[in-house]
Amino acid sequence: MEQPILRVEGLKTHFPVGGGLFAKKQVVKAVNEVSFQVMQNETFGLVGESGCGKSTLGRTLVKIYEPTAGKIEFMGRDVGSLSGQELQEFRRNMQMIFQDPYASLNPRMTVGEIIREPMDIHNIGSPKEREEKVSSLLETVGLKPDHVRRYPHEFSGGQRQRISIARTLALDPKFIVCDEPISALDVSIQAQIINLLERIQQERGISYLFIAHDLGAVKHISQRIGAMYLGSLVEVGESSELYHRPLHPYTQALLSSIPIPDPERMRSRPGLQLDGDIPSPLDIPSGCPFRTRCPHATQRCAEEKPQLRQVGSSQVACHLYE
Amino acid sequence: MEQIQNIEGLQLTPDLFEPLSEAEKNSEFIAAAPRTYLSDAWHRFKENKLALCGLVFLLIMVVMAIVVPMLSPYSYEQMDYGAINLLPCTEHPMGTDKFGRDIFVRVMYGARISLLIGFSSAFICLVIGVVYGGFSGYIGGKVDMVLMRIVDILYAIPNLLIVILIMLVFGSNVGSIMIGICLTSWIGMARLVRAQVMSLKEQEFALAAYVLGASTPRILFKHLIINCMGSIIVNVTLLVPSAIFTEAFLSFVGIGISAPAASWGTLANEARTLIESSNPIQIIWPILAICLTMLSLNFIGDGVSDAFDPKKK
Ligand SMILES: Nc1ncnc2c1ncn2[C@@H]1O[C@H](COP(=O)(O)OP(=O)(O)OP(=O)(O)O)[C@@H](O)[C@H]1O
Ligand code: SF4
Ligand SMILES: [Mg+2]
Repeated sequence: MEQPILRVEGLKTHFPVGGGLFAKKQVVKAVNEVSFQVMQNETFGLVGESGCGKSTLGRTLVKIYEPTAGKIEFMGRDVGSLSGQELQEFRRNMQMIFQDPYASLNPRMTVGEIIREPMDIHNIGSPKEREEKVSSLLETVGLKPDHVRRYPHEFSGGQRQRISIARTLALDPKFIVCDEPISALDVSIQAQIINLLERIQQERGISYLFIAHDLGAVKHISQRIGAMYLGSLVEVGESSELYHRPLHPYTQALLSSIPIPDPERMRSRPGLQLDGDIPSPLDIPSGCPFRTRCPHATQRCAEEKPQLRQVGSSQVACHLYE
Repeated sequence: MEQIQNIEGLQLTPDLFEPLSEAEKNSEFIAAAPRTYLSDAWHRFKENKLALCGLVFLLIMVVMAIVVPMLSPYSYEQMDYGAINLLPCTEHPMGTDKFGRDIFVRVMYGARISLLIGFSSAFICLVIGVVYGGFSGYIGGKVDMVLMRIVDILYAIPNLLIVILIMLVFGSNVGSIMIGICLTSWIGMARLVRAQVMSLKEQEFALAAYVLGASTPRILFKHLIINCMGSIIVNVTLLVPSAIFTEAFLSFVGIGISAPAASWGTLANEARTLIESSNPIQIIWPILAICLTMLSLNFIGDGVSDAFDPKKK
C-alpha cells in the first residue's frame, strides 16, 4: 500500500474541435493539469459531474488518447515512451472496464471468444489452457461455464458487465480503470458488481481507478477519492474524510446531492445545492473553474487559479483554505 | 396521494410475502437456443417468398450454365449450314442462328460469361472496397483525407469512358471488361465501409480491443468489419446485377465480348439484324435470360436487405 503503482503529474488532454472553413479552431480542455497517485492494491475513486473529463482521464491513462502534456508513470516506468514489446506488456498490466455494458462487448463474438481474445492477442498459454482459463474466469465472475457459446445480447446488463470483468482479468492486470462500471445498471445489481470487484481486488491485489458521477457509489469501495471539476482535481482525500467533512464547495455540493434516508440529517448537512449549468469545457472560467457556481467566490477567485494544497489530511484547491 | 399518506400506518407482516415460484427463480436462465447472426438473417430471408424464388432461379441458372454446354451434342461455336435460322424444335429447343449454331447452348454459354463477370467483379470490388474503406475509416485523419480525395477523383471520371478505354488498350475479353467494371465500382463499397467503420471505431468494444493490445488488422476485421457485414452483403447484391448489366450493354453495343464467343449482350446484338429473317424471335432468348436473371438478383437483393435490417428484428 506504500508504493504508488501509478503517478500522474500535470496531465493535460485537450481535443481540438471545429476549425472548418468558417469556424474558428477551438480546444476542449477535457483534462487540465491533473496530478495524483494511486497506491498498490488501493482503490482511488474519481467523482464529478457528467462532462467534467473523468472518462477522458481514464482513457488517457490506458493510452486510448495521447496526453497533450504531463507525465504518467506506471510501475516505475514513463508510459509516454513505451512502444513495441514494452507497450504490449503495459497493456497486459493496465486494463479498463467500460461504462456501457451494451456497447463494450462485440455483438458478433460469443462470450467464450470475447474472454479468450486477450489471451489470443498476447499468446498466453496453449489453446487448451486458454479454454480452461475461460471457464475458470466465468466462474470467478459468477457466470456458468456453459455460457461460453452464448452471444452478448442474450445477457442482462449486470451479466454483461461480469463478462467485461472476466475479459480484463484474462490478462491478470495489476491495474484496472473502471469507468462508471455500475452507473448503467439497476441499483440492486450495482452492489453485486461492487462486491465482485472488491473480492477480485482482495484475491489478486489489483489497484483500481474507480470512476463514478456521484460520491455515494464510490464511498464504500474507495480508500481515497478525488473530486473533479471541469478537467481539474479540486479535492483529494481519504474516503470517509471527504464524505463526512468535505472541504471544497464543489465537493460539499456533490455530497448534498446524495439523498440520505433521514430528513433531519439531510437538512442539517453542510453544503449547497448545485445550480446553474456546468460551463462549457471549451470556455473554462479564468481563475478557479468553479467560481461561476460558487457561493463564496471573491475577486481573487477570478484572477488566480487555486492549486491543490494540503489542508488537514486532504488536499484542496480553493482560496478559502489559505 | 392517499396511498402515499397511508404508508406510515402500513404494517409489514410475513404473510404479506410469498416465496418465488421455481420458474421465477430461474429468470436469469436463457432459454432460446443460441443463434448466430447469419443464421438469424437466413431465417428472415426464407420468409420472403419472392427472394427465395429468385435464389432458386439463380441456382438453376448456375447449374445449367455449367452443365448444359458440357452435355449438349452441340458446341457453342459449331456451325451447321444445313440448319440456319431454325425455329425452336425438339433438337434445338431455342432454335438456331444465322450460322446454324444452337441458341440454347449459346445462351447457356453466355450465362457462364455473364455470371462469371457478375460474381467475380462483385467479389473483387468487395475485397478492394472493404480493405480500402476500412483502413481509411479506421486510420482517419490525413491518411483518410488523401485516400478519399483519390476516390473522389476516380469517381468523377465517367465510368463508361474508362471501360471503353480499357477495352481499347487490353482488347475485348472477359478480363478487360472485369478490370473496366471494377475500376470504379468498388468506390461505393469503400465509402460505405469507411462511414460505418468511422462510427463503429468509437464504440466501446472497439476501444476495449485496442486497450487489450489488439493489432490494427485484428480490430478492423474481427471487430469492425464483421459488424457492418449486413450492409456489405446488401451492397454486393447490388454490385452483381450492375456488373452483369454493364457487360451486356457493352457487348450489345459491340465493344464487349466478340463472336464466336457469346455473352447475352453479344447474342442480342447478333440477333438484332435478324428481326426480319425467318426466325425473328432469336433476340427473345438472350433478353429473356438477362431480364429473368436481373429480376431474380433484385428480388434476392431486396430479401437480403430486409433480412439484415436490424429494425425488423
Ligand atoms: N474525442 C473527443 N473529442 C472532442 N471532445 C471530446 C472527446 N472526448 C470527450 N470530449 C469532451 O470532453 C469533455 C469531457 O468528456 P468526458 O467523456 O471525459 O466526461 P465524463 O466526465 O466522462 O462525463 P460522463 O459522466 O458523461 O461520462 C466533454 O465536454 C466532451 O464533450
Ligand atoms: S477558489 Fe473561490 S470560487 Fe473556487 S471554490 Fe474556492 S471560494 Fe469558490
Ligand atoms: Mg464518462
